[in-house]
Amino acid sequence: MENIGALSLFLALCLSVYAILGSLTGKWRGNNFLIVSAERAVLAVWGLLTFASGMLVYALLTDDFRYAYVASHSSKTMPSIYKFAAWWGGQEGSLLLWTWILSSYSAVVVWQNRRKYRAMMPYVTAIISVTQAFFLILITVPLTPFEVLAVGKEITTVPDGRGLNPLLQYWSMAIHPPTLYLGYVGFVVPFAFAMASLITRAPGDSWIHTTRRWTLVTWMFQSAGILLGAGWAYAVLGWGGYWGWDPVENASLLPWITATAFLHSVMMQEKKGMMKVWNMVLVAATYLLCIFGTFLTRSGVVSSVHAFAQSPIGAYFVTFIVIELAAVTYLILDRLEFLKSESQLESVVSRESSFLFNNLILLASCFSILWGTLFPVISEAVTGEKISVDAPFFNRVNVPIGLFLLFLTGVGPLIAWRRSSIESLKKAFLWPLAGMAVSMGILFALGIRHIFALMSFGLCVFVTWTILSEFYKGAAAISSKSGQNLVAAMVELTHRNTRRYGGYIVHVAIVIMFIGFTGAAFNKDATVEVKEGGKFHLGGYDMTLTKINSGQNDHYRYVSADIAVHVNGSQVATLRPEQRRYTTGDGSSEVAIRRRLNEDLYLNFAGMANEDKAVIQAYVFPLVSWIWIGFAALLGGTIICLIPSKIRYSFPKTQVLGQVVKEGQPVGPR
Amino acid sequence: MAPARYLLWMVLTGLSLAQVSSEFVTADIRRAGSRLACLCGSCKNSVGDCAMLGCHYSLPARQKIASLQAQGATDDAIIDSFVREKGKVALVVPPVEGFFGLAWWMPVVVMGLGLALVYWFIQRMSKPAPVAPVEQRVLDRYKESIEKDLASLEE
Repeated sequence: MENIGALSLFLALCLSVYAILGSLTGKWRGNNFLIVSAERAVLAVWGLLTFASGMLVYALLTDDFRYAYVASHSSKTMPSIYKFAAWWGGQEGSLLLWTWILSSYSAVVVWQNRRKYRAMMPYVTAIISVTQAFFLILITVPLTPFEVLAVGKEITTVPDGRGLNPLLQYWSMAIHPPTLYLGYVGFVVPFAFAMASLITRAPGDSWIHTTRRWTLVTWMFQSAGILLGAGWAYAVLGWGGYWGWDPVENASLLPWITATAFLHSVMMQEKKGMMKVWNMVLVAATYLLCIFGTFLTRSGVVSSVHAFAQSPIGAYFVTFIVIELAAVTYLILDRLEFLKSESQLESVVSRESSFLFNNLILLASCFSILWGTLFPVISEAVTGEKISVDAPFFNRVNVPIGLFLLFLTGVGPLIAWRRSSIESLKKAFLWPLAGMAVSMGILFALGIRHIFALMSFGLCVFVTWTILSEFYKGAAAISSKSGQNLVAAMVELTHRNTRRYGGYIVHVAIVIMFIGFTGAAFNKDATVEVKEGGKFHLGGYDMTLTKINSGQNDHYRYVSADIAVHVNGSQVATLRPEQRRYTTGDGSSEVAIRRRLNEDLYLNFAGMANEDKAVIQAYVFPLVSWIWIGFAALLGGTIICLIPSKIRYSFPKTQVLGQVVKEGQPVGPR
Repeated sequence: MAPARYLLWMVLTGLSLAQVSSEFVTADIRRAGSRLACLCGSCKNSVGDCAMLGCHYSLPARQKIASLQAQGATDDAIIDSFVREKGKVALVVPPVEGFFGLAWWMPVVVMGLGLALVYWFIQRMSKPAPVAPVEQRVLDRYKESIEKDLASLEE
């Protein structure tokens, strides 16, 4: 019975290989039976992986410590929710989750397209199954989650497990990895369709229409995963950082950036038939960066705080990535003719150009992050000397890039497709730029001297103005015709073109998040040693440590401090930061946060300096709540984008038939 | 204090952090420390910014900075002292020299190449491709189609 999970994984691997061979052979020989049977193999893989995952979860929930994985990542005293979350708390289990999510996506793709894209589907099935088989090899051979503990030839059990790392026992950490994986894994689908369209030279851009929604959904999950991770780091790690430019954090950001670039540039292909090669490159880059990100997380090739999930499987990943990269490069180069642009750029001052610059800046940001992440490895390989590339490097390089990107977010909607006249630009930019200048002037007068902060706030005003004016213009037109009030007209406007106005809401969300990021320029902190009754001060807060508490329960011992917080002499809150020491020997901090729109007061109980003196780290983080509000707005905007528009828009492309020539007139480029 | 509670206090105190690294963080230490990497392996911060109390790297590093500053050492001399001891890995960012300068130059170079690529693309895409002569009957067919569409719009 102990091996039934491992057997399921092995069978799933065999069926994945069958799905690859069956779909390709079926396609090449014109054998529909084989094609359909390969698709059913994909469904069977999902069934087997669901069973294997169920087995692991059951073992975790029932404290079956005969399994090495359960003994290493769970314990009897852990709450059930964290026993469940231990599924992805370790290396083997998280790879099983990756594989299970991929099999679920594959099953949906196969089911949704059982009557569509029949010429393309065998390749789609094969490409997805290749990735599936790769991950199945990992969890079948070097990293099986079903390894049993054995003494001699006897399967044995241990009295209790080591438990999940206490840092991971937090609600957002229970959903952060699966959410991020839903994003990572989902990009396999657009990649498979894009490559299948190249292989089959499918006419038109049907793969884009099929995969745009996939891309958007997976982009949403990835955004959510990244921000849940940021929220976890903020609330759990004890020093209020939500982004530390750790290699693994960077690895999650890289495919998000390329996917964002794709979601923009794909509009060029849909509306103008342009940038086809570029879109292929972006789809492939996003997929490969997802695999690369998993490699960085799992291999330990660069040092990372995510050290709880490292193992020596780097060689598998490197081999896989190199093979895939070579195949994709060959395919794109071989099909360049098929990817020829259908229309021309009519003016540099056009929406099309703004998309080009948007993509350039996004990719520059992606490259600089990738470069900074890998530079210590490259440097050591070339010079033999270790080097540090820490947060200040990434901030110095990416803050200007981020601000320019924010600027483009405001510029894009103001420029028309095809071409914009100087007059129309003047008209469109005058008030937003004036708003930006005035807001920067006011902030300067109020004493803000941080140049990037001033620019960021100014650009936030600029972008918000441009987006709100887009909403206002559209809603006013509807309102004047239908007599609806402006709010109802805005709802109607958004419903008529959910993709466009949902996109604008996402842009507003980015602005809101930038406000939150900019607040970091004004952080304050203090670390104090205080006795009961001791007072300390930070920012506008006067704090008194009223009581030090201690105790223990089944899981951990704790010591905490009750801290009365006063503002202008009035008590506004009592916060209780706590430090825990788990029975497993691990420690964690439970910070106390007073969240407000203007700033968070963040208290961390760092420990006891001596028997009666507590060490308290106090921080004031201005505007940080705006990041989480922006996150909610981003989710809302993306969901609106996914709702079908009330009016179905079609984008006829300009078709050049030829030119009428008079007799004797030369024919050629004008 | 009850013996059990006293014992618990002792254990927690022992497990907690007896030293407060932040007591060494003056503005001067933070300024010099902001140029040095915290090499504890758990964060990507500088010695000046590391928020982990009792961090096994940043705490002694701050003590060393304080000691050197007390002897009148300049920031540059302090940084040099760390580099001599640990190598260039002690710096929070790569120095702009030799191969390490590539860390800074490459993003700029790539951005420049990207701009050149966009310029080339715009130039190329702005030139209409050669078009073949079109026969009058084909044009007539399209004109007829447009007329029909316009007529149906008016209805």
